[in-house]
Amino acid sequence: MVGAIIIGDQTGAMENKQSPSRFSSYQAPWASMEVLGATPIARLAEDLQKDCDTVSVISKDRDSQHAKATHQASMADLAGDCFANYKREGLGTVLIIRCGSYVELEIAEMLNFHHEQGVGVTRAFSDDAPLDVWMVDLSGLPEHVATLATLLSTLLCARPAMYRSQGYVNQLRTAREFRRLVLDSFYSRCRLRPQGSEIKPGIWSSEGAEIERSARVVAPAFIGRDVYISAECLITRGSNVESNSRVDFGTAVEDSTILPNSYVGIGLDLSHSIVDGRNLLNLQHNVNLEITDPVVMRQNTVGGGHRQSWASIETSSMSLSSAE
Amino acid sequence: MLTSGPVVVMQVPEILNVKEVRNFMEELGPLLESNRPRIVLDCSQVRSMESAGVEMLLRCLEEVLKRDGDLKLATLSPEAEVILELMRVARVFEAFQTCEDAVRSFNAIPADAVPQNTPWYADVFGELGVLKQAS
Repeated sequence: MVGAIIIGDQTGAMENKQSPSRFSSYQAPWASMEVLGATPIARLAEDLQKDCDTVSVISKDRDSQHAKATHQASMADLAGDCFANYKREGLGTVLIIRCGSYVELEIAEMLNFHHEQGVGVTRAFSDDAPLDVWMVDLSGLPEHVATLATLLSTLLCARPAMYRSQGYVNQLRTAREFRRLVLDSFYSRCRLRPQGSEIKPGIWSSEGAEIERSARVVAPAFIGRDVYISAECLITRGSNVESNSRVDFGTAVEDSTILPNSYVGIGLDLSHSIVDGRNLLNLQHNVNLEITDPVVMRQNTVGGGHRQSWASIETSSMSLSSAE
Repeated sequence: MLTSGPVVVMQVPEILNVKEVRNFMEELGPLLESNRPRIVLDCSQVRSMESAGVEMLLRCLEEVLKRDGDLKLATLSPEAEVILELMRVARVFEAFQTCEDAVRSFNAIPADAVPQNTPWYADVFGELGVLKQAS
């Protein structure tokens, strides 16, 4: 029996300060950001369920204030609990993945390799670079391993067998790597597929997405769940607009990612960028800006059924300004 | 504020929000109303610009062009460049790497050096041009 633990946060010593793996006020790692309809962590969990008997994800919820506040303590406790449960359930081997990167693994092949080597710990490598992926025999681990910190330090100190993964790997350390994952998916260079239906060749649209008739979407592109693309907009060159975002009248989005719950204003030219609410990261100029003008960019607080809601907001703001 | 002959170089504030735009316009306003204003805006310090800032730049350009002058941008910070591109106005302005380049660009064809009563083709065609003018 094989279990899997996905640690969805980069707590620990491996944070690289030279190339920040986080963006925007959320300070969330790239691996926890939605890409083409789902986060890499969610996709990995789904993928692992095919080969593993039990899959546990330990991750702070990006939108939960409670999770943010208690994150340090709960992460360790959860990892410890999860590990103890697996031992109790009698699972022989556990796959442990610290999900700072997007990795496509051949689990059955790695499991065979692990058993052949007969070492307690096997670590996956890609092009000689170590990945945060371990396969561990539970019986071989010391009894005192009870928390995330002790587990990781035990794994890092162990002399593992080296399993060379031939699968697709994207380290997701930088914004460029995040954008590369989007493009690799569009051009089928990895297994990650956009969620939703392909409405035209190379154009994917998720449930609740609405594109005005005069807007143009040029392949490859992805329009996420409950997204609204206003009239005269242009979405092109591998752009993805993630769930519950809105692109307003006449704006062109080129080679860019709009992360969930973002509003992009009227008549803009967004290119080579990643937008998260009012945070704009321009990859061409390597500039990270916080847009303070809500007319230009802001957090989109309007939920599903947005068309109706937006209409009522616009009407109310019009009446306010006319009252002034 | 630096002046170099008739060209005025002004430093744009770090943050161009509604309040800062108002302050900046108090300084810039009289210049815009002069005859043939020639202005260079040094944007090296700009870190953030709201739509009010972009609107102000466009209004200034409109005013100076009305008075037969010109407004040029210099040493654009990466932030200013991104915002101007985002708001689709980057191509509206002539931008230079340095303030010196921007000032020099005004003097490339000194307006005073060309007599206003001589037609443009007089220099090109020499005496033929003068003959043409006489005829």
